[in-house]
Amino acid sequence: MPSMTRAEAEDFLYREAQILDDRLFDDWLPLFTKDGLYWIPIDETKPRDQSVSIIYDPPLRREERVHHLMRTRFPSQSPPSRTVHLISNVTVGAGVEAGNILIRSNQVIYETRVGDFRQTGLGELRTIVTRMEHVLRAEDGALRIALKKVTLIDRDLSVGILAFII
Amino acid sequence: MEGGIIANNAIDGLVLDKPHTFRVHTKAYTDREVFEAEMGRIFEKTWIYVGHTSEIPNRYDYKTSYIGLQPVIVTRGDGDVINVFVNRCMHRGAVLCREAHGNAQQFDCPYHGWVYTNDGKLVAVTHKDEVGGYSADFDQPKGLFKVPKVEVYRGFVFASFNDAVQPLLQHLGRARTIIDRRLNQSPEGEIVLRSQPFVARYKGNWKFQTENIVDDYHFLFVHRAFVDLQSKYGDTTGNFGLHPGGNTAEMRKQRYRGNVWGTPQGHGILDAQLGTLEPLLTGRFAEHYKVLKDKYGEDELAWIAGRGIISMFPNMGMIHQQIRTWRPIAPDLTEVTIYPYALKGAPDAYNEGVLHAQERFYSPAGYGATDDMEMFAINHEGLSGRAVDWVLLERGVDTDTVLESGDVQGKPSSEACMRGFWRRWRQLMSEA
Ligand code: FES
Ligand SMILES: [Fe+2]
Repeated sequence: MPSMTRAEAEDFLYREAQILDDRLFDDWLPLFTKDGLYWIPIDETKPRDQSVSIIYDPPLRREERVHHLMRTRFPSQSPPSRTVHLISNVTVGAGVEAGNILIRSNQVIYETRVGDFRQTGLGELRTIVTRMEHVLRAEDGALRIALKKVTLIDRDLSVGILAFII
Repeated sequence: MEGGIIANNAIDGLVLDKPHTFRVHTKAYTDREVFEAEMGRIFEKTWIYVGHTSEIPNRYDYKTSYIGLQPVIVTRGDGDVINVFVNRCMHRGAVLCREAHGNAQQFDCPYHGWVYTNDGKLVAVTHKDEVGGYSADFDQPKGLFKVPKVEVYRGFVFASFNDAVQPLLQHLGRARTIIDRRLNQSPEGEIVLRSQPFVARYKGNWKFQTENIVDDYHFLFVHRAFVDLQSKYGDTTGNFGLHPGGNTAEMRKQRYRGNVWGTPQGHGILDAQLGTLEPLLTGRFAEHYKVLKDKYGEDELAWIAGRGIISMFPNMGMIHQQIRTWRPIAPDLTEVTIYPYALKGAPDAYNEGVLHAQERFYSPAGYGATDDMEMFAINHEGLSGRAVDWVLLERGVDTDTVLESGDVQGKPSSEACMRGFWRRWRQLMSEA
């Protein structure tokens, strides 16, 4: 039965945040279990087969997202985003499935893209306010993310371009 | 409601339409007076799509929407009558209904509590007889301002402030055929809007979206990274056949075929028949397509299952399995809403596949729409370089053919769609 202290949970989230803020996205992938899901819902109460999410990435989609960011060039990340994750309100509990751990946190992400501020979308500092759930499970000798669910407080409004990883 | 103070001869000079040339002046996108004039002369003069009946399926359902800058409520009342009202209380003008959608037999104004029925009648003026209240001969408003013209075509609700607007079918013109074909993909001929929409704002003029949704020319440049993803991942990550062609050469071939139309009503259309029906009639959804084949025949099915993209004048579009609207907020600010829809009676797995393929491309975190939005902003910013007068829209101008219907048929890769839009734009803008 895996368990985790709050300090350990914070360390886990800090490590993920550092990988993301350093844009080392290839290192982000192995933090997940083999079937791990990265999910940003719009309305989580609606059935998945009838309503869209902002992101719903099973393993191959996560790999594709990282490939897109690391090895292609596209307008909405040229120049690329710089981000800083601030993490607080961390609690640790049991996941729904036996043996899982649920970490809840509030994360505020600051994002900017360099450029002359008169160029639309560049040089502005955006704030992305989220509540997150990380469901962890032991796999291959380490606790890994089976689910990362990001709830944006403005998820059903115009959220702006989110072409980076939150 | 004539809209704006800009003179007609000033408008005339904004669109340069002569042999071998088609150019639009920078000011048509950036100028505040032009924007004000558009609100009156375009958005209050023509038909505007305000919603779909499947969004308000039950009696007393409503949704809020916009006609240009004017907020409206679309309601379904007794006897399934669809009404459209200006979303403004007749007392002192507060927004009456602040919800995106819901069900209400009556609307209570949040400010001083006046009460209106679902069909717009004012039924209660609060504290009416209080000392200092209204006099005995108070000229009490009858109810909400009702948008005079409302017509529904196969579930699409259109409204117009213009009493003398042409009949809706005449306005739809050639676009009607495309709507029919999109809807006939459903064995029941109906679509259902049930997904949450994607909402995004861009810092650019609304007409960039009008032009872009039927612009095949940009795809291989703006969406180059997506083409790369397609060649690497094919259909394994949920493309579901939405963007056919696994590499640049094939995608280019797929895009630059079929018809490109600019219609006299201002619509832009891309359509093409499917080359072969074989894969559909033997594939995973063979049963579904056989039903359609029996109903419509092979030739028409090749149209139904083929390409059909509309940029409906002025601010609504259909592409893949979505209805899209783009709402002008300011000359340099626009809100795009993408409503994915389901085909009634089609296999669940089919609807789900298309839904998620659209999520992959059109979400605010998707691999397509984000880059389009970025381009609209870059485009608007670039137009700040006002030392340059003209935007060039004359690609393929010499290969356009005018049909008897007035529809202009252009060659693939041309800018015939945009020319259709701008000709209608100039016509309406000059009719103040
Ligand atoms: S503004 Fe609505 S009741 Fe006064
Ligand atoms: Fe595009």
